[in-house]
Amino acid sequence: MSLRQLKEFCIPGDWAEVDAQLGRYGARAFVLAGGSFVHGLDARGLLHEVEALIDIRNLGLDYIRAESGGLRIGATTTFAHLQAAPTLGESPWLGALADALACPPRQIRNVATVGGSVAASCPYFDPPTALMALDARVAVVAGGARREFPLGELFAGTFENSLRRGEIIVELFLPRPTGRSASAFLKLEGNANDLAIVNCAASLEIDAQGRCSEARIALGGGVGDAIARATSAERLLQGRVADDEVLWSAAEAVGEDIDPHTDHRASAAYRLAVAKVLTRRALTCALARSARTPT
Amino acid sequence: MMQLVTLEVNGEQHEIAVEADGALLAVLRDGLGLIGTKRGCDTGGCGCCTVLVDGRAVYSCMMYTLSAQGRKITTIEGLAADGKLDPLQEAFVNTGAVQCGYCTCGFIMVAKQLLSETNNPDEDAIRHAIAGNLCRCTGYHKIVEAIRLAAKGG
Repeated sequence: MSLRQLKEFCIPGDWAEVDAQLGRYGARAFVLAGGSFVHGLDARGLLHEVEALIDIRNLGLDYIRAESGGLRIGATTTFAHLQAAPTLGESPWLGALADALACPPRQIRNVATVGGSVAASCPYFDPPTALMALDARVAVVAGGARREFPLGELFAGTFENSLRRGEIIVELFLPRPTGRSASAFLKLEGNANDLAIVNCAASLEIDAQGRCSEARIALGGGVGDAIARATSAERLLQGRVADDEVLWSAAEAVGEDIDPHTDHRASAAYRLAVAKVLTRRALTCALARSARTPT
Repeated sequence: MMQLVTLEVNGEQHEIAVEADGALLAVLRDGLGLIGTKRGCDTGGCGCCTVLVDGRAVYSCMMYTLSAQGRKITTIEGLAADGKLDPLQEAFVNTGAVQCGYCTCGFIMVAKQLLSETNNPDEDAIRHAIAGNLCRCTGYHKIVEAIRLAAKGG
């Protein structure tokens, strides 16, 4: 780790201290939680001007609150903490998140945080793809003022988020779908400790007639500058019974929603083929889970 | 920029000046001489730098030293602090789960957390637990066997 301009590493105990540090360093302050990807950002030359690291671990943002309207997750909640939450294992609608949290190795799950994983805006991470399919909303604060917005609006590009100066992510909210709902996440990777070649999360709400009243599909890996919502595929599912033919059509339509690229992990053509397969399989898995879900 | 930090490592308090952006791994090895923890990829990809922080396995190459303040750090040297090998260490010896040995400490530390949470992990749980650690020699079979042996009490 080599932040050449770094002058201070601080762990504030309250928001007044955070605001003071942000006031002192302005754009040269960098907020971290678990810190497990800071080296990754640094290695890409994105932190050369950072003079202060602000570790927000002690601000009371490590919490999971299951409410009737959904699930609130504090920004510094680690993957391991969230993974162990009973509500995750008991709620088919959160299946995609449970699947995605099982992917990173234990050493990462113990450290990486939910807020940090989305703030990094890395399209190769797994939990953010699941959170996108679960229609997550992000809450941020700056100087005591709070605003909320859909997670998709946070991702401005690869390793680039849309946070305004001084804003810190404090919470993610997952709205509980109405009716019978389930989700699933799948990933193709080179080895057990590698980033995704492609990952996919699918969330379905099924009405009393067995039709998809809501479908959300998100894809990550090298399929675009940010995690993509497969809206063309979603439209094909909307209002229809998700039989084999519909699932195959939806998977095929994913090609219209993503822009795969070639890198050392895979070619664009391979990613496109995998994205279609993973979409169909994630939808199939979500559908099967929904069938086991009481209305 | 150096900052003074107090670290609790293997039950001992150390007051040490560290680089503000220094990784825990560097302090353990170069500052405290605890060279059982190995430097491998330095990017969280191989697992040989694994230590326990508050009982949980972490990549020490990716953790800022200053983030480890106030937490209990355990390295491989801390497992046999009283001179007697930990059951995991004994099991690795007895099953021949070591070839070049460079990755071994990392495997033992991540297995330490696993066995602190469950005393009867099946093969799938063991393999999943060590997914963040690489071994280029053994093919993993003996490592899995060693962890299972330790779980059974050696």
